[in-house]
Amino acid sequence: MSRRLVGTIAPVLAVMVVLALPLVTTDRYLFKVLTFVGLNLIVVAGLALLFGYAGQISLGHAAFFGIGAYTVGYLTADGAVPWLIATLAATVLAALVGFTLALPMLRLKGHYLGMATLGFSEIMTVLFVEARGITGGNDGLRGIPYPVLGPFKIATPGGVYLLVWITAIIVLVLAGNLVRTRPGRALRALHGAELGAQACGIDTGRLRVQVFALSAGLAGLAGALYASSVGYVSPTTFSLEFSVLLVAMIVLGGTGSIAGPVAACVGLTLLPYVDALIPGLPREAVSFLQDWEADIAGIVMILVLLFAPGGVAGLIRSMTRAGDSR
Amino acid sequence: MTVLATRGLSRRFGGLVAVDDVSFDVHAGMIKALIGPNGAGKSTLFNLLTGFDRPDAGDISFLGASILGWAPHRVVRAGIARTFQNTQLFDEMTVAENVLVGMHTCLRAGFAEGSLRLPATKASERAAVEQACRLLRLVGADRFADSPGADVPHGVRRLVEIARALASNPKLLLLDEPAAGLNNAETHALATCLRRIQADGTTILIVEHDMGLVMEISDEIIVLDRGRKIAEGPPLLIQKDAAVIEAYLGEVIADA
Ligand SMILES: Nc1ncnc2c1ncn2[C@@H]1O[C@H](COP(=O)(O)OP(=O)(O)OP(=O)(O)O)[C@@H](O)[C@H]1O
Ligand SMILES: [Mg+2]
Repeated sequence: MSRRLVGTIAPVLAVMVVLALPLVTTDRYLFKVLTFVGLNLIVVAGLALLFGYAGQISLGHAAFFGIGAYTVGYLTADGAVPWLIATLAATVLAALVGFTLALPMLRLKGHYLGMATLGFSEIMTVLFVEARGITGGNDGLRGIPYPVLGPFKIATPGGVYLLVWITAIIVLVLAGNLVRTRPGRALRALHGAELGAQACGIDTGRLRVQVFALSAGLAGLAGALYASSVGYVSPTTFSLEFSVLLVAMIVLGGTGSIAGPVAACVGLTLLPYVDALIPGLPREAVSFLQDWEADIAGIVMILVLLFAPGGVAGLIRSMTRAGDSR
Repeated sequence: MTVLATRGLSRRFGGLVAVDDVSFDVHAGMIKALIGPNGAGKSTLFNLLTGFDRPDAGDISFLGASILGWAPHRVVRAGIARTFQNTQLFDEMTVAENVLVGMHTCLRAGFAEGSLRLPATKASERAAVEQACRLLRLVGADRFADSPGADVPHGVRRLVEIARALASNPKLLLLDEPAAGLNNAETHALATCLRRIQADGTTILIVEHDMGLVMEISDEIIVLDRGRKIAEGPPLLIQKDAAVIEAYLGEVIADA
């Protein structure tokens, strides 16, 4: 009972703190960093469904993020298309590309799925540079306008922060609902025993395509918000390194959980910004963390896989279970 | 009324003919047993019937319509549910959740409804949880409802699979060796449970090595040997059939 209470109160408190933050500070840098956390949370929500629940790995989600970002950058330049429509278009386009990619990948599993999505990611990286007419090549796109919602232009770091976090919270709530109902159970079943899932009447092929397209769409949405938040896109942002970092967030957070990856996402996204967030850290420690961020994420991921395969969520689960039996 | 009919069903693996020109009918409301020595082709036949494998020849019709070449999920939706000889439980999910997955075809909520969790979705989820508990009580596995699938003893895993298969509300239930791993008392309870399922109007086709159970519950028996149907009929006739005794029952009776 108390556990359930904590389970409902903790997220509500977190949401209140997130939404109240602009009332107590106007620190531009803080908002910028937290905006990145919120954007990553949107991607992580989709990847948790795809990888954490359905067990389908993707090393290509940075590319879907990129598709969303370039779509918004291209469409909203010169105010050609309203922000909201461009953002929806970016989301749908990323989902469609995900859908198209998922169809031929249906026969692939495990490492092969990883390799296929990796190949896709590499192709997109080349495309982002070479399709100069749309992407601006190596220079990327600049001067992407801020989000405009009806009469409101969201042009302050605090406003952008709120927009991104409200979106992230909505996405996380929806994902949290999803995993507790029929489609969420089907995803877990797919991961657990594919034959068993089919014997329960689940169209496993269709479900895999659906969840891949959904998670690609969410990555596209995050990318779209990213482009209009920071005002520019350049091809280096959507690298394999980013894809791996996203997967690390799921591994570290734990499979079969939303809350675990959320915690891991916050931690891993803030890692390079520790100096600004925790004043007084020795300079060597800070530069060490920043230089070795990707390596630290990799080592943490290996340690988790070796010693705590359930991730953060698994540790909490085993702790509460031990508590229950006492 | 004929629920299931196969005609000339065959399946070859390389040079081995695992199922060889098998034809039989299953009539509504009966418990029909499929017996035969190890490697006779019983599980292969189940895979053909449920779309997990495709026959090289022959036809399968369910309630008068051919289901040949249908994918497993379509077969389930049509009304045939099965269990596996090597259980296929979802180990990471609780036993109750396993049964809830079995209700997939009866529940409606897709991605949109599930993520919004509207009152109607919540209500049907609550009803589903109650139904799952009922089914677990029926098979006698309710005390494991909250255990993860991985923690459940071997015999009980088969019972959970029965509950999960029943959850799709099938017209025909295919059970592959449900009594394997059960002791005498548990086998007896299983017999009672199967009779109750039968009484609720579900037709059953059961593969089973426990001859006591087979003779006790089945209305009709088919005997397979090396892929061929060598006999079919009521238990009393099968027990006396010379070919059956030669191929199979002789050793069982001699063993007993
Ligand atoms: N996928 C496969 N590939 C090749 N051979 C197979 C395959 N599946 C089954 N067989 C062979 O087909 C024959 C029938 O196997 P099946 O599993 O259907 O027998 P069974 O009657 O269920 O036996 P048991 O009582 O041991 O469960 C066996 O000789 C088996 O080795
Ligand atoms: Mg078998």
